[in-house]
Amino acid sequence: MQRKSLIIAIVSIIIVVVIIAAAYLALVAFKPKYQIELWFNSDGHYGDTEDELATVLKNSIEACGKVQVTLHSDIWANYRQLRNQGRLPFFLLGWYPDYGDTDDYISPFMGSSGSPSFGSFYSNATVDQWIDQEQTSTDPAVRLARFTDLQNKLADDVPYIPLFSGYSETAYASGVTGVELHPISFKWFIVDKPNSAVLNASTTDDITSLDPALAYDYFSIELVNQIFDTLLVYEPVQARLMPGLATTVPTIANGLVSADGRNYTYNLRPGLTFSDGSDLNASVVKRSIDRAIRLNDPGGAAFLLYDTGKLGREATNGNNTRVGAITVAANDLDITFHLSAPVAFFNDLIGFSVAAPVPWDYNQNAAQPDAVGSVRGSGPYRLTGYTGNQQFILSRNPTYHTPALYASFGIPSIPVEDTVTINLRQSSTALKNDLSVSPKLADVVYRSISPEDLADLQSQATTLGITVEVAQSPFIRYLVFNVSPTSTAAIRDLRVRQAIAYSVDRQAIDRDVFNGNVEPLYSLVPPGFSFSAPHYQPVFQTEYGDHNCAAANNILSTLGFSMFVFRDLVARDH
Amino acid sequence: MARGRSLLAYAATRGLLAIPMLLILLTAVFFILRVLPGDPVLALWGGREPPPEIVEAARHELGLDKPPWLQYLDYMSRVFRGDLGRSIGEFYRGKPVWGEISSRLPATVELSVGSMLVASSVGIVTGVVSGARRDTRLDVVLRLYGTVIWVIPIFWLGVLFQIVFAIWLGWLPPHGRWQGTDFPHPVTGMYTIDSLLERNPAHFWTALRHLVLPCLTLGLVLSGFFTKTVRANMLRTITADYAEAAHARGVPGRKIVTRHAFRNALVPVVTVLGLQFAILFAGAVITEKTFSIDGIGLLLLESVVSKDMTMIQGIVVVYATIIVGVSLVIDILGAVVDPRIRL
Repeated sequence: MQRKSLIIAIVSIIIVVVIIAAAYLALVAFKPKYQIELWFNSDGHYGDTEDELATVLKNSIEACGKVQVTLHSDIWANYRQLRNQGRLPFFLLGWYPDYGDTDDYISPFMGSSGSPSFGSFYSNATVDQWIDQEQTSTDPAVRLARFTDLQNKLADDVPYIPLFSGYSETAYASGVTGVELHPISFKWFIVDKPNSAVLNASTTDDITSLDPALAYDYFSIELVNQIFDTLLVYEPVQARLMPGLATTVPTIANGLVSADGRNYTYNLRPGLTFSDGSDLNASVVKRSIDRAIRLNDPGGAAFLLYDTGKLGREATNGNNTRVGAITVAANDLDITFHLSAPVAFFNDLIGFSVAAPVPWDYNQNAAQPDAVGSVRGSGPYRLTGYTGNQQFILSRNPTYHTPALYASFGIPSIPVEDTVTINLRQSSTALKNDLSVSPKLADVVYRSISPEDLADLQSQATTLGITVEVAQSPFIRYLVFNVSPTSTAAIRDLRVRQAIAYSVDRQAIDRDVFNGNVEPLYSLVPPGFSFSAPHYQPVFQTEYGDHNCAAANNILSTLGFSMFVFRDLVARDH
Repeated sequence: MARGRSLLAYAATRGLLAIPMLLILLTAVFFILRVLPGDPVLALWGGREPPPEIVEAARHELGLDKPPWLQYLDYMSRVFRGDLGRSIGEFYRGKPVWGEISSRLPATVELSVGSMLVASSVGIVTGVVSGARRDTRLDVVLRLYGTVIWVIPIFWLGVLFQIVFAIWLGWLPPHGRWQGTDFPHPVTGMYTIDSLLERNPAHFWTALRHLVLPCLTLGLVLSGFFTKTVRANMLRTITADYAEAAHARGVPGRKIVTRHAFRNALVPVVTVLGLQFAILFAGAVITEKTFSIDGIGLLLLESVVSKDMTMIQGIVVVYATIIVGVSLVIDILGAVVDPRIRL
């Protein structure tokens, strides 16, 4: 009898517990929430921290209580295809600028022609007009006004949510000087290892091509910039253009840019040669530009010249520039570019590696082979060693045109070191090890050190006898909403996008993912760079702030979230 | 009693069987790559969206606008002519696939052979000792070793070795195949062999020092399999009739182990060696990444990421050919060692 009572008591308790648990689940755990999918890249296209970044974003959005985020990932080859097909509703992307002008952070994102390639499909006729005005005006006041309009519109419409600007990092043996984390182009030719003619370096990067017409990834461009000079080059520390192969930076004031901003003239230094001794004159510059445009390599940056730079590419002219787009003076030293429309930042495009002159005998129909003796430029260094995917050796170019180019910046002669050996490694840990072993295997390691290895190196800097430097980078990260008519209802709803903009926690990203190394970003235009008029407006800070759950939930409440559930089924694997 | 086939006939039969095996593999890889998501042509443009006409032109140039069966015929006819095509990936675009593979293959072969030497020598010694000392403390320790080492992640062991032997003790280089700019004169691409060919002991020493940690890492992990297999076979052979008979005749225990049990225990080990090569190549991918060795495994990783179909196909062809070739040699060796296999 007693046993029966005991069993009844236990069963009763179990039933009560089950009822309470069910009630809890019904009221709390299964509470209707907005269901959104956040996509991120899974194969390291943006480094090894992407899953952590996505998780922190998910947590910060979900912490506000009314949105549930499901994470999805794919390898880059698939990810970008899904993006281009408009099949990613809400996802993470990154951007490294092609040229040092604010326009490169605005027009590709917000212009109707550029936004599909970012997967946002944002389109607004007024915005297109503003972009046209800022691109073609040489009046700083007009450009500032348009960039302000554009950034305000960005915050109003929220096709993107800026998250943070990245950082670049380097570590080097104490005593080495001249390691400058330049925002556009790292310069090995200004690094100095006292009492040594040889500098050993390590990187996790690798090249795709050393042909300026094809090079369009960070490390290829970095090496091209050591081996090839452009008409204009960047100062050693700041991202400000200065004369390179040309004698003067063209401006309207000095008469080398026409008043309508459509004609740019560059005067070459006399007596220029390539490292092989062949002549470098205005005809060679024209031939090089035409070659890059004619080859129009899929992975290259020729579009910056013929499309962005308004030089054209005409099938009737053998896929070269438009007839008459480039004229060469009789002295073969002056070259003029005639643009089909004004481009306020044309000098920046001419300073980009794709515009670097190459010798007359370079292959005109295909890529020049990446081999010693084949790669020949006019820069401070020559390529004298290339052991496939293991090592590059750069040696002093004895015919470099102006060794005193940076004398006014305290660098009497470039290149500083006779030889730079760059060893290619496969992981951030390998870079760390290069500085941790005794004797050190590298004097300088540059790109890419993971946040964990960076923190490790920083904590051991004194013991290891190294200097660790972290600087802001022009690289930005942001979230993209696909706002096309075919996108999901929730994402197309401005209020949902605004609620998410309120929810994201940039401080948590900085703290939890990057150990405090990144800079929270409140506009697509990053602050703090010496680009020509960066025009940074922190519109997302003033309009949304960080992790403002009250405001986020206020908006979502107006949508009556408790009455229904948005469920977006777009994933390939569903 | 059936007559045993001659060794030559056996080898010829195995060789002929390898051909359809390769064909099936090539066909499977070709079609699997084409049904996987992701457009290799779009992947060429990195992060940008090119105009449709340019994409179509590239598709035409690469022959990807043809029907799949025609692409398949093109591909197979080229493979049999020894042409693996040109890369269509972001990293090696336009470069001959065989050129890239052949420049990386020596590093992987060097790593694989070194690792197999470590794996087989450590595994066989521990397996024999463990089997011969059954149920002793040493046996328990070695069994534990065989189990634990087999499940240790390669990258973890590699990093551990780097910390201990390179950073703390400073005995060996932490990664890479070479340090400095005076590489051995390339003949085979394998630095140990090339430095021996140029009779340069300093070069050989440098190459060998760089090989020690990666080969130890991969070899020790694989040795666990050998330890367990050799032990199991030793237990079988050490209690076999012929071993018992030898024991009864007063043959010393050590002699029974080395002359009788060990030799017979090795026969099945040799036959699974081919399978171990396949596992070795898989492990080499991780080892190459951990030790910054620029081998074919890393090339495969890069190719998968960039959806470089021709490169992936080429690597699989090379891997498959090597594994089939090694298996063939091992089968023939097995037939030599144990004529019963030919029956």
